[in-house]
Amino acid sequence: MASVPPSPKTPDTPHPDTQWPRWEVFKQDAPQRPYQAVGSVHAGDPEHALLTARNVFVRRPAAVSLWAVREADILTATPEELTTHPERLEQAGPGGTYWLGIKRTHKRSMTYVDLVGSCEATGPGDALRQARDAHPEALTWLVFPDAAKVATDPDPGTVESWFAPAQDKTYKQQQHYGTIGRHVGELKRSGLMPARATEEPHLGTGVSGPGPAGRGDEGSEVKAPGGQE
Amino acid sequence: MIQPTSPTQPNPSPLAEGETAEQHAAFEARIARGEKIEPGDWMPAEYRRQLIRMISQHAHSEVVGMLPEGEWIDRAPTLRRKTILMAKVQDEAGHGQYLYHAAETLGATREEMVQALLSRRAKYSSIFNYPTRNWADVGMIGWLVDGAAIKNQTMLAGCSYGPYSRAMVRICSEETFHHKQGKEMIVLYAQGTPEQRQMAQDALNRWWWPALMMLGPHDADSPNTGVLSRWGVKLKTNDEVRQEFINEHVPELLEAGLTIPDPDLHQDAQGNWKHGPINWDEFWAVIRGERGLGRERLATRQAAQDEGAWVREALEAYAARQARPEAAD
Repeated sequence: MASVPPSPKTPDTPHPDTQWPRWEVFKQDAPQRPYQAVGSVHAGDPEHALLTARNVFVRRPAAVSLWAVREADILTATPEELTTHPERLEQAGPGGTYWLGIKRTHKRSMTYVDLVGSCEATGPGDALRQARDAHPEALTWLVFPDAAKVATDPDPGTVESWFAPAQDKTYKQQQHYGTIGRHVGELKRSGLMPARATEEPHLGTGVSGPGPAGRGDEGSEVKAPGGQE
Repeated sequence: MIQPTSPTQPNPSPLAEGETAEQHAAFEARIARGEKIEPGDWMPAEYRRQLIRMISQHAHSEVVGMLPEGEWIDRAPTLRRKTILMAKVQDEAGHGQYLYHAAETLGATREEMVQALLSRRAKYSSIFNYPTRNWADVGMIGWLVDGAAIKNQTMLAGCSYGPYSRAMVRICSEETFHHKQGKEMIVLYAQGTPEQRQMAQDALNRWWWPALMMLGPHDADSPNTGVLSRWGVKLKTNDEVRQEFINEHVPELLEAGLTIPDPDLHQDAQGNWKHGPINWDEFWAVIRGERGLGRERLATRQAAQDEGAWVREALEAYAARQARPEAAD
């Protein structure tokens, strides 16, 4: 185990171990769609990162391309962070082409930021400034140099072999099972299944004004599974 | 998943050293406006601590949750059932990864979390310490255990912390498949031969009460609920989620022709199905590892960690060699 020292945060780990660097994963669901940040994986090298990203984030049919970027190469900021850490806009680093991502909404979502374009920048701080100026309304900005990304092969044969197998596995979709037994509506009309367990969601305690349940725009349920992303 | 905590643990004060009431007020105002808190934003230390505890325990539950069902992959009765079960177990591994990622955004490291699980400092859902004794258990786990988990996770998909919420939306969408395949299997067996009906009933007899318990202690005994609902993490109480679960599943189980092992189960005036007394002594005994398979589960997890060490070392050596310029070709 030599090359990567154990995290200094784990003094109680009896046998120092590492789960490798973190890579942020960006997934493109279809050609012409934006790459979206879906989460992260730990990997030792670029190929390992992309394979793990596929296994973790593409078990369902919705991808034609994946990018992976080492966490160390990514700079992010929320509006609140820029008021407390304005120096982030000055962060130095390699110049060149940078990708810009933004988070647009507080609504429920599976994805964090969408990549919205690229720019020429003198460094990460400059790219962050350009992202903020172009999208002042964003809830989070994220930038990374193009040179830092690793991508799956765009060759159609490779896309097919990487992503098509998930499409035939329809048994992974809940629609595959259809309606089992009597429809829920029928059970409700018969009085066997009450429409709601409680009339009002729990509002919590101690917060004055509208509580978390008072959020207006999201609806009370996760959107129907299947119609994702 | 449930948050197993000692009922005697005091409710900590949310205002930590160095934090001001103004900071808390601004933070709570953001939550009240329905904003998601993102990793770079200011948050109370107690919010961070509670989320790391909750998310990492949730991640451990997904990982340990592979074990009871994984045992049945090579004993599945048909190729179709085997492919479904393999996909389900693979999903649970992926869900663990989503959740560890969410906890890492708060500053927890993967190494710390894995070590906390293996050294028993971190807990996971008590439900996975029950044995799977017959094939119908696989279906009953899908229908009841995943059904209960979805109720809880649908609530958490609305929580105030962005990365946790996003992981939950993704997980819920995949878990509905787990729920459906289990229900399909059990309904089929419940209408099958006498032996199949008996197998389904036996599975229900053993999983019904653990499924109710996995949604956590009654509200009066749930010490963390106050601060977690105050900060928009838990939007419903344990008892509310449990009632939703029971209301949805009782009519469907009865319709399948099965008998629910609770002589006190009845509908109240509003139509809610009310359960009889829950044996919480059993719940805490399983949490403490005095009952159930806790020791075996952790031994299996520890063996996987140990037996995978050479793979991690090899990959690291490979990455180090790739990083050296002379190894470019």
